[in-house]
Parts: sequence; C-alpha cells; structure tokens
Amino acid sequence: MSLRLDRPLPVSARLAWRAALLSRRRRLFPYLLIAPSVVLLLLLIAFPLFFALKNSFYFWNMQMSPMPLGFVGLGNYGMALHGPVFMVSLMNTLVLTVSGTALEVVFGLAIALLLCRELPGMSPARAILIMPTTIAPIVVGFLFRYMYQPDGGIIPWLLSVAHIPVPARGLLGSPITALPSIVLADMWEWTPFCAIIFYAALLGVPHEVIEAARLDGASAWATLRHVRLPLIARPLAFVTMLRFMQLFNTFDLVLVLTRGGPGSSTFTLGYMLYQQGLVDFNIGLASAMTWIIVLIVNIFITLFVFFVFKDAG
Amino acid sequence: MIERISRRSVLKGTGALATAAALAAPRVARAQKKSIRVLLVADPFYYALSGVAAQFTEETGIAVNIESLSYDALNARLVTSFLGGHPDADVISVDNIWLGQYLESKWVKPFNDLIKADKDINFEDFIPGVIYSINEWRGQIGTMPVAPYGMGVMYREDSIAAAGIKVPNDGSWTWDQYFDMVKKLDGQSFSGHKMSGTVVAGQQPAPIVHMYTQLAASMGARWFKHFPEAPWDFTPTIDSKENIAAITLFRDLYKNSPPESVNYNWFDAGMRFAKGDIGMFYWWTPYFYLCRKDGYMSGKTSVVADKMGIVPLPHSSHPQVISIGGWGLGLPANSIAQDEAWTFIKWATSAKTQKAMALYDKYGYQFSDFARRSLYGDPELLKIYPYLPMQLTALETGNGKISRPGVPTYTTLESIYGLNLNKVLTGALSPEECAKQTTQYWINVLKGNFMVPFRRPSYDDTLEATKALITSLA
Amino acid sequence: MAVKSRTADTLAYLALGVILLIFAGPIVWFILLAIRPAQTVFAIPPVLHFTPTLEAIEATFVHPGTNLPQLFNSLVVAVCAVALNLPLAFPAAYALSRFQVRGRKNIMLWYLGLLMAPPIAFLIPYFVLMSHIGLNGTYLAMVLIMQTITIPFSVWLMKSFVDDVPTELEEAARVDGAAWHTVILRITLPLVRPGLIVTSMFAFVFAWNNAAFPLVLSSQRTETLPIGTLGYFATAGVTWTYIGAAAVAAMLPPMLIFLFLDRYVVRGLTFGSIKG
Repeated sequence: MSLRLDRPLPVSARLAWRAALLSRRRRLFPYLLIAPSVVLLLLLIAFPLFFALKNSFYFWNMQMSPMPLGFVGLGNYGMALHGPVFMVSLMNTLVLTVSGTALEVVFGLAIALLLCRELPGMSPARAILIMPTTIAPIVVGFLFRYMYQPDGGIIPWLLSVAHIPVPARGLLGSPITALPSIVLADMWEWTPFCAIIFYAALLGVPHEVIEAARLDGASAWATLRHVRLPLIARPLAFVTMLRFMQLFNTFDLVLVLTRGGPGSSTFTLGYMLYQQGLVDFNIGLASAMTWIIVLIVNIFITLFVFFVFKDAG
Repeated sequence: MIERISRRSVLKGTGALATAAALAAPRVARAQKKSIRVLLVADPFYYALSGVAAQFTEETGIAVNIESLSYDALNARLVTSFLGGHPDADVISVDNIWLGQYLESKWVKPFNDLIKADKDINFEDFIPGVIYSINEWRGQIGTMPVAPYGMGVMYREDSIAAAGIKVPNDGSWTWDQYFDMVKKLDGQSFSGHKMSGTVVAGQQPAPIVHMYTQLAASMGARWFKHFPEAPWDFTPTIDSKENIAAITLFRDLYKNSPPESVNYNWFDAGMRFAKGDIGMFYWWTPYFYLCRKDGYMSGKTSVVADKMGIVPLPHSSHPQVISIGGWGLGLPANSIAQDEAWTFIKWATSAKTQKAMALYDKYGYQFSDFARRSLYGDPELLKIYPYLPMQLTALETGNGKISRPGVPTYTTLESIYGLNLNKVLTGALSPEECAKQTTQYWINVLKGNFMVPFRRPSYDDTLEATKALITSLA
Repeated sequence: MAVKSRTADTLAYLALGVILLIFAGPIVWFILLAIRPAQTVFAIPPVLHFTPTLEAIEATFVHPGTNLPQLFNSLVVAVCAVALNLPLAFPAAYALSRFQVRGRKNIMLWYLGLLMAPPIAFLIPYFVLMSHIGLNGTYLAMVLIMQTITIPFSVWLMKSFVDDVPTELEEAARVDGAAWHTVILRITLPLVRPGLIVTSMFAFVFAWNNAAFPLVLSSQRTETLPIGTLGYFATAGVTWTYIGAAAVAAMLPPMLIFLFLDRYVVRGLTFGSIKG
C-alpha cells in the first residue's frame, strides 16, 4: 500500500483525462463524489463546534440549573486556564502524546523491518501481531489494570521475579511510573498497527532499489536511512500524525487505569474534559476548554502541514 | 418568590401528566402488557433487587426490566436523557449528592403528595436520619431510600487479640486511641502475613473524599460557614484548624496502610481488608457483609469472614457526626409509566421486599442496607447480619448533610478536594498547603457559580424539620 | 556467509518469539480470566492450572445474560457504520485520486484533522443534536456519529488503493464508450476489492471499539458491549471474571474477522507493491 497523496499519472493518460473532462458537467463530477462525505462530516463537526463556541461565553453549570444562567464573556476561558488541572493536563498530554507517538513509530518500524525478512512462519505471526489493535481501548484499559494490580497482577509479579524493583505504591500509584504505565498500555495496542502499515509500505519498496544500494556498498543502516525510509516517508508521516492525534485525545485508558491520579500526575486534556463535561456537567467551562484545545490542536496540524506535508498535493 | 411560583406550576404540570397517565392507564393495560424500565447503579442492592424482582411481576402483573450501570455511566446517561427530554427509564437510582440537582431541575418527581395519599407505605418506619441525609432536599422528598449506607469500624479479631489490643464495642474511644492501635498493629507479623495497621481508599476524587470526610466531620471540621441550617453561607471553612488536624491524621493513617492504597477505590480498600492483612479500618456499612466474601458477588467466603469485629466509630472532643450516603429510587418526571413506576418504588422500598433482598442467597447473603427501622430487630435477619443493632445506631445518629453536603457544584468541589487530598498522601502537598489551595480553588468555583455570596433563599435543613415532615406525610 | 545468515535467522526468530509473547500473551491471559475460578484471579504466584469454569460466561451471556443484547447491539452499530461508511468514503477517495480536484491536499488533511477533535467534548453537543432531530438512543444516532471516525481513515486508506489501479484500464473502457458509473462499478471497484475489505475491517473495528459515543447516545435498548463491560467496574465492587467474560466477547469478533480475512490484509495492504 502506498499512502501517497498523489501519484503522477503518465502524461498521456493525464491529457486523455483532461479531454474527457472538458464539459462543465463533468468538471463538477468529482466534487459531487466528494460532497456527501464532506457535507455529512461538516454538519457533524460544525454543530458541536458552534454549540461549544456559543456556550463557552455563557454560565451554564447543570449542577446549578438545566438552562444557561447568563452571559459571562470570557469568564469561562479565564476559569479554565486558571483552574487546578489545566496546565498540568496540557503538560501530561504533551508528554504522553510525544513519547507515545515516538515509541510506537520507532518500535513499529523495527518490527516491520523484522517482518520484512520474510522467513517461513512470519505470515501467521504477522496475523496474530495485529490483534491488540483490534481491541477496544477501554478493554485494553481493563486488561492492563488487571495486569498492573499491585498485589496479584502479573506484571508486578514478573518484575519482582526478575528482581526489578516495583514502586511500593504500585505501578499506577507512583507519580513517576503512572504516566509511563499508561504509555505502555497504549504502545501495546498501537505498535502493531504502526508495524503492519510500515511493513506493507516497505514491501512496496522495489527490491532493485535496495539491491542497487547494496551493490554500491551502502551498509544496511545507510540503505534504511537513505533509501528505504525516504521511500516510505508518506506512510510514516500519515501514521505519525494519526497516532499523534489519537494520543492527544487519550481518555479511555486514563478513565479505567488511574482517573488522573496519583495527584494530578496522569490528568490528560481528554480526561479533564470528561470530568468537566460528563461528571461535573459544567457545560460552559467544558465548552471553553474545548475551544482552547481545538486551538492548540490547530497549531499542531499547521505545524504538521508546514513541515511534513508541505510538498504534498 | 419567582422560584416558588414556577415550582408550583411545574408541580401542577406533573400532576396533570400523572392524571393523564392515570386516564390512559386502563386503556394501555387492556391494549398491552404493562412494563417498566429500571436503571440502577451496580451496587449490591442491584443484585439483590434483580434477584427478587420476579415477585413484583407476580404480584402486580407489571413486567420489570432492570439494568445496571457503573456510577459514571449512570450519571452521564441520566443527565443527558433529562437534558434531551427523552425518558430512558421509569425508575432510577439516585445518589444522595445528585438529589438537589435533580429536584431543582425538576428531573425527578417529588413524592410528598404521593406519600401523603398512600396509607400503606408506613412512612414512619423509615429512619429519619436516612430520609434527611439521602432523600430530602428543601422540604421535598425526591427519592425513596433503597440502600442507605452509614460508617463503622471493622477489625480482624484474632490479629487484634494477638497484639493485646482491646477495641471498645460501644463507641467509647477517640480517634487518637484508634490511631495508636493502628500504629501498634502496623508491621506486625500475623499468621504468615506482615500486617498493615489500616487501609485507606486513596483514589481521587470520590473514594478519598468519602473516606476522609467521615474523619473530618467526626473531628469537628465543616465544609461551609453555615449549612445546612439557615441562613446558608457557603464560604469554605476547610482551612480550619480542625480540618488541618484531620488531614494530618488521615495522612498518618495512610502511612500505616499498604502504600498502593493511594490508588484504592471503595472496593479495593474493602477487599484488601478481606484478604486478611489489615488490622482495622473504617468504611461504609455495605462492607460489613461485602468483606465476608473474597470478591464482589463471587459467593466465596473470605479469610476474615468469621473473624470480623464490627464496632461504632471513634469520636473526638466535638459532637460525633457519622456520614450517611447511599441510594434512593427516583421517578423521572419524563417517564411515561408514572403509576407503574411508583408502584415499583413502593414495592422495592417496602419492609417485605427489603427483607427478601436480604435473604436472597445467590452470592451468599449480600444485602443489609435497610432504611426501615423495623428490619433491624428482625430475628431472622439478625442471625445472618448480627451487626444490625450497631448499624442502626450509626444511621440514627448520622448526618450526611454535614459530612458531604450535596449542594449544587458538589462534584466540582469534590474533584478539587479529592485531588489535593490525594496529593497529601503522595507527599506533594502538606496538610496546610492542601487546605489553603483547596480553599482558594473552592472560592473561585463558588463565586463563579454564584454560591458565594449566596443570594437565593435558604432552607433551614435540619433533622427536626425532616422529622416534622415525616410526621406530616405519614 | 551461510553461518552468519543462520545466526541472523535464529536471532530474528528469537525476536519474533519475544514480540509475539509481548503482544499475544496478555490476550491469552485475559481469555483465561474469563474462565478462571474467582479465587485464582489475583493469586501469587499466578495460577495456570485450574479447573475452567463457565460461571462468568453463563452470568454475562446466559443468565441473566445482560451482555447478550449488548453484543447484538454492538454488531448492529458496527455493521451499519461500515455499510454507511463505504458509499460515502469510496466515491470521495476515487475523486480525490483520479481528478484534479482543487485544494485536494487541503481536503485530504481536513479529513485527517477531524480525527483530532476531542470526542469527549462533542458528546453533549451530539446528544443535544440527536435530541433535536429525534434520534436519541437509536442505532442511527451512533452510526452517524461514528462516521466522523471511520470516513477520514477510510478515505485515506482507499485513496491509496485507487491510486494503484492503472488508469489505462479505465481509459480503455471509456474509449469503448462505457459510462462513468459503469467504469467505476465494473472496472475500478472489483480491482480495489481487497482495499474495500481492508478498509471495512478497520472501519468495523473503530466503530465496534468506540466507547465514548454510546456512553451518551445509546439507550438501555441500544447499549453496546464496551459500555456493558464498564458496568462491572462498579463503585461497590469489580467483578473481574465478569469483566473478563464480557471483554473477551468484545474482543473476539474483530479478532476473528482479522484472522479469517487475513489474506485480504495481505493482499490489501501489499497491493501497492504489485505495480513495482
């Protein structure tokens, strides 16, 4: 599979297409094909965004009243930024997102290269490998909570058998290990996903190219670095961005594993929104937080577009 | 004034709705089999109630579909369904801290008129402290108590005896004495275990707040300057010296607990005790029977089952306050089967049904949270649940409105409080810093929500007022 | 050389073994949880020899069987989400691959950017929206909202498959006078079938596994399995064996689909290499 944004068509073919598409009706045709999905998505995304934008300026706490109680201007934004957990949630989210994405991509690539050796028996192994990705994040949360359990869980037990010290408060109870434990659970689920996509992309790299590089005396590392990786740059960028964004919204794992604790060491933006919106039902405040997050997210998307996808399309 | 008028008009509205439902009912009954949907939290009473629900259908011909949800999912589902105006259930379980919100938003139907009209409820059999703590808000009865919880101390008899400690069983002990015993028990070897003195529920926000506020209330700390008595003043008072002393003691109790209990929720703490390596701890009354089992609804006996001492809480130099929390059954105002729902609520909270729930044996006897005083003297139940007299005392003298005031914004305040208390356990905050920071954030929240200063009418919410209300309704 | 390569192969197998242990081991451990006697759940050292019990599976799926209708609901939601996803995503992917669409890059990135929207923040607005149009608690509400996750991913994935179908085939058909829809339906669609299947598999998994949307959009009758699993994680207690049973049921369908259709994963995902 090549997840390239575009693939140059042969010139002759392109000219033929052009000719076929001259009439105005036909020029509209591709837009008609795209329209249904874009319109549906626009509706589904625009409504919550406007809903949140409007209510972010109102005082609406459902613990106080089922209806908005009044216009408060930017009050909710101030409250969100000065609240007890916003900044620490942002930091935790960034740590979780950057480390999780980097580790998943690197390990995914390593596993993909291993799979590329095409040894007998690799194919069923690859089929089994993808399994964690097919499991619901909330179930992965349960699975790891079960395995992390301080007394009786298999992971602390394995660590103690290997004489690796486990924090007395348990892996999820120590501020130092709690966030890495969440990253680990996420890695378990999504590293195989990265690996399979990279594997498929690497298969698409023609053997002749690698062979040519080898004949030129390039080391395996140099071949990877200068030949194979550039050729799979697009899937790499796609997976990186996808994982970055999904990790940025992490919520299920935190809900099941730590509920933001101990202290605020695993509070993420996603969990904070859950707390404000679906536990405290402070719609106004949650809406303001939503917009702050949407703005942050757009900064990241812009950065991605600028640095990673700049030559695309 | 405006509020009163609107409430009356809404009452009239729901009354009209009920009349309409009553008018429509016979036709519906003829047309199809009546059925109601019940949405409960997955606490022990859910298992017991579903276990005996077939009797209700047998007696009334009304089919019941009972579903359980986790605490979070239940609140999210209920609030969103009220917001959308679509009924998701005809009977719901309501946590005592949701009650004010649900009643003021007119999401649940107040029961005052229904109770008054029904002579067979025997309303005076309910424990006033329970009605006051979990079912009443501003003079309205919003739910009927199905599973009220108090607090008490559980200890492992044989380990305590081996350590040469005597625990008073009449409540004549102080928190200082309790702490000394915990300290003495901690680190002792007993039957192959290294014992921990006690165990805390340290997970934020709700579990740690549930456990801590019992200690704090008992040591004289209050959340607000003036509540629940009128006039209400929600200026936080949690940086009082009583509260700082209570936070310090709670931290010290944690130091004599298993370190991983910093992350324990309600059940983790209880099951740790059931494993046998905890000397003593205080917790909600359902754990009196839950700790006899080695897992939730596992049906298997735990190692401490026949070695559990259960006694009243210690006190301080302040008047004793015992926390009461728990669940009532409410009737969503948008339910389309109001009559059937009310019939079910009456049935589920009746002495007869509550007793049947207590005798339901599928997982071993796993229900003794009665709101009805008469059941606490029932010889058949006393044989299974011998601690009932002590539990009754706790419920009769308890006050849930002091330990965890179910005021609007409660959950927001709880999440800040729980976070900072948890930070005290991890050592990130000192008790003084915790009190100071929490106060600061609370003031922001309370001011932002127009609770400080409080300009709306207060309600003189006292146990005496509730007792008078019960008499007037019965 | 041969010795070196054999050593490398051995090392590769060793690494593969470790990787499989890490990624498949926990799944096996969870499946064992579903059939464990409750008292061995947290035994130290972990107990491997036990008499399997079907108690938890019976309780969750037979009597009272709370999770059985939820399993059915999950199936309905996921299958419908896929059924709606394909006719929306494929034409878009086709157009974006074949035609000089203005702002193609931006459209593609816009799709991807949608995935970054915080789903939790949108739950209440979605709930209000669905209440307005009277779809609350219906399967359709969930199926519609799931499209915000499935369509972006599907368009990206499918576009790459369409990219790899040589345009010459379509041109030849065009020259023979075939209409556009005929070309797409008769020529392109069969050629990207593995792509459609792989895309559908991922769409199914995304919809099946989503727990946030059903949390507020489902009703008692349409609740899906992940929400049901959450129910055993109660305040008063955690019934671990029940969680195990319900979770294994939630895990199995996507896993079986991926195992059975593995050849499509291979064909689908390696489709790009055929053209060389």
